[in-house]
Amino acid sequence: MQVDFQARELTIKLVYYGPALSGKTTNLQAIHRLLTPEGRGRLMTLETRDDRTLFFDLLPLTVNTESGLTVRIKLFTVPGQVIHNSTRRLVLQGADGVAFIADSQVNEVRANQAAYKDLRKNLRENGIEPSSMPVVIQYNKRDLPNIRSDEEIERMASMGHERTYLATATHGTGVMETFMGLIEAAWENLEQQHSLDQRFGLRAEHVLQNLSERISEAVEVADHG
Amino acid sequence: MVESMDIAYGEITQLEELIDRDSLREVCRSFFELFGLSIRVLSSRGVLLASVHEERSVCQYVNTLSHGRVACSHTVTQAQLRTPEGGETVVHPCFTGAIYHIVPIIYDQRQLGRIIIGPFLPADVTSVPESLLKVDPKIDPEKARLTLAEMPRVREQTAVRIGAHLRGVLDLILFSGHKAQLTSTMHLATVRENYRELGEKNTRLQEAFDKLKELDRLKSNFLATVSHELRTPLTSIIGYSEMLEAGIAGELSTEQAGFVETIRSKGELLLQLISSLLDLNKLERGQLRLNTELIDPRALVSEIRETLLPEAEKRKIKLDALWSDDVPMIQADPVRLRQIITNLASNALKFTPNRGQVQITARLAELHLADNDNDDLDDGLGAALMMAPERAVEIAVNDNGIGMEQSELPKIFDAFYQVDGSSTREYGGAGLGLSIAKSLVEAHHGKIRVESELGQGTTFYVVLPETQPDSAAG
Repeated sequence: MQVDFQARELTIKLVYYGPALSGKTTNLQAIHRLLTPEGRGRLMTLETRDDRTLFFDLLPLTVNTESGLTVRIKLFTVPGQVIHNSTRRLVLQGADGVAFIADSQVNEVRANQAAYKDLRKNLRENGIEPSSMPVVIQYNKRDLPNIRSDEEIERMASMGHERTYLATATHGTGVMETFMGLIEAAWENLEQQHSLDQRFGLRAEHVLQNLSERISEAVEVADHG
Repeated sequence: MVESMDIAYGEITQLEELIDRDSLREVCRSFFELFGLSIRVLSSRGVLLASVHEERSVCQYVNTLSHGRVACSHTVTQAQLRTPEGGETVVHPCFTGAIYHIVPIIYDQRQLGRIIIGPFLPADVTSVPESLLKVDPKIDPEKARLTLAEMPRVREQTAVRIGAHLRGVLDLILFSGHKAQLTSTMHLATVRENYRELGEKNTRLQEAFDKLKELDRLKSNFLATVSHELRTPLTSIIGYSEMLEAGIAGELSTEQAGFVETIRSKGELLLQLISSLLDLNKLERGQLRLNTELIDPRALVSEIRETLLPEAEKRKIKLDALWSDDVPMIQADPVRLRQIITNLASNALKFTPNRGQVQITARLAELHLADNDNDDLDDGLGAALMMAPERAVEIAVNDNGIGMEQSELPKIFDAFYQVDGSSTREYGGAGLGLSIAKSLVEAHHGKIRVESELGQGTTFYVVLPETQPDSAAG
């Protein structure tokens, strides 16, 4: 988090992490489509020729709150491919929360687990204790065959601490729920550390309310590779 | 304050960081040519980034008048200083009746600068305003009217649309610039991060390497000590069994003599092995000194044949020593060279079936530096110097024995390596002979290589230079 008192701005950084091709970029594209243009920046995608993220995607959002403070939300994705580890670590620097986008397909279990371990390792290398980082989990690609069942995911989720969401990012379903959940989780942590309510009169519901008012009708998001 | 460029948030705060001024000037010029309106682009710090304008006739005229000049300069300065608030375009008036539109440049919800469009005359201004006629006591109203008529006229709505269009074009330029800047920043940061990571890995590897080197040193010391300690009692065992064999302690029965003979011969075998270990150890530590002298390779191969002939005849193996007449004398350590060739020839006998054939040949050959130091010559640079051959002698030991798989060949010169590493292997040995031979050949600045085919036989080639670079070298 970063506060610019002069500009009365608070900037928070949220990172979409996960294995290669799990739908991180598609999540950002869906958020971009689902929000009305006001306060929504351009989605910047630094990708290679074959649609794979090279460095990151960046979607800036701005929320004007009752407190008079402008909350700038920077949504980033990391490149999922194993070789881009140092890029993932760089993008992860300064993150206030992480949405872990997992692939629901049964045969992707190892890729999901490897990416989660990679997240923990990179957090540690950045000097962050993984337990102190707000994380939400999204099981994406619910429209595909051979996926883990809802019950199974619910059972696994009940054993952990993280809020868990089901999504089909290509259709835009579950994407905003994950995003809102991520803001909430990140905010709880920021509130504890920085007393935003006491200092600025700034509460999560202000931001969430503003964002939910800006969700346009569900639009089908074009399939992204 | 936010840093001008921060990877963590991917933000930009300064227009001048992103804008290529030449490109911006081109864009402004094309707008000017299209609409005939002057355009200036300023950053939020007030830095003029591009300016394409033409002094209007009325401005030229007003500037010829002293009061008019002051008023004109004041208006332009004020227009450049005005900052639009809340993202809205500001209309700045001029005493001539013309106006300026000041359009904010907003990127990622931040105001980074402003575009000043104008001056132009709103379409609804029909008469010469009082403010122009009163700007200077010497003003000629007719001239003022004529020059003002040349000022471009634009309808308010059109001006707004032109401003919005220019703003859109700038936004695209900014987005592309931002993207390019983030890409290059990330690229650099990633390279730096990879470099740091590799550096850490290298340090760890270096530590592991140092540890292994230390272990290797300890191993060498251990070998040296153990070999020495083993040799002392072994010498006694061999000495006393020789005395027993010689009957110094009384006549032995045939059976007793047989037992003592076995003790002695096995003792000698063990002594040989220990000597090999010591040799290897010395070679590894670079402590072995060569006592070189001029020797005749022809005599050497002939002598070796004589030595090994009884063993060959026992197994009906045809053992030949051949040489060409042009084989020169070479500088080498006779004891070590004999050790090398004897070792290769004994091996050949060992791995050749009964009634087979072993040949030891000596011929004049050439030795290239490239044979020993391939790294320097891979690229062919300096070949005219580096490929100059040296006169040498090649001693080859050839057999038609069991041969080896191609995949084994690169490993056979490693210490303790056995082609057949099983505990039940048919052929004995500690796997040190070839390793020692290689080290000894290299100590002579020579080269050893092998050719082999499974089931067909093996040939070892030892090429030694005619002279040693430093005759005293060891």
